[in-house]
Amino acid sequence: MEHSAGAGPAWALALEHSALGETLRQAMWLYPIANVLHVLAVVAMIGSILAFDLRLMGAAKALPVAGLARLLLPISAIGFVVAVITGSLLFIADATAVWNNPVFVYKLALIALGLVNIAVFHFGVWRSAEGWAVGTSAPLSAKAGAAVSIASWVATATLGRLIAYF
Amino acid sequence: MSPYQARAATGAALILGSLAFAAVPALAHHGWGSYDSTTLTTLEGTVRSVSFSNPHASAQLEAQGKVWTIVLAPPSRMSSRGLPDGTLKSGQTVSLDGYIHKSDLVELRAERIRVDGKSVELR
Repeated sequence: MEHSAGAGPAWALALEHSALGETLRQAMWLYPIANVLHVLAVVAMIGSILAFDLRLMGAAKALPVAGLARLLLPISAIGFVVAVITGSLLFIADATAVWNNPVFVYKLALIALGLVNIAVFHFGVWRSAEGWAVGTSAPLSAKAGAAVSIASWVATATLGRLIAYF
Repeated sequence: MSPYQARAATGAALILGSLAFAAVPALAHHGWGSYDSTTLTTLEGTVRSVSFSNPHASAQLEAQGKVWTIVLAPPSRMSSRGLPDGTLKSGQTVSLDGYIHKSDLVELRAERIRVDGKSVELR
């Protein structure tokens, strides 16, 4: 955006004016493709997270937690990686405007919260997961982690969409 | 909560808290809700420059004694509606209808643009 050029931290300006930033803005379909892939990645990621977290919170206790984890967690991990790559492309194309957007920093904070929650869960209560495989309730801390997970990732996606409206 | 979990939770709270209080610049440009859509404004003037780029094309327009930043549509839509790259040129006289930015009073989000006798819807 011409009139906002120069408004923003030097690193954001450098990203925006890089060859990649220039290409993303000039190529007709690169940006829309990155945008579509970003949405699909977020859908895959949050859909699988939601299903897994609901199981931890007590839904469908007949389904084995470990089996669900084998199916769903790689989908969410791959979705996250694709979302980070495509999100970076969308950011680079318009870095100063996005950085100046009042919503964006809260989205980053929520991603940080979601990742910390994953780390706490996997290095903590998840190591005792064999004990609550089928038919039993997950421990309270696992349920709490699942609730934080759903809240943080749904809020992340919500703020991501709201960037366009603030 | 184990000590590890408590530490991690405290860390997360600190990160969130400090980010929430970080200075957020009030440069809320370009958001869809940032334009006053209660008043449709019509401008007629001379195109000074055109940026045919993603996420949306834009132009500088001299009209009413001011230089306006005009927010247009994504290049793909501009092209499919009959305004491919190069058809909107500096020096051209155009008129357009749109909504003025609530805080940046020389930025206008164009709803349609009339150029060379044809009217192109941008939304």
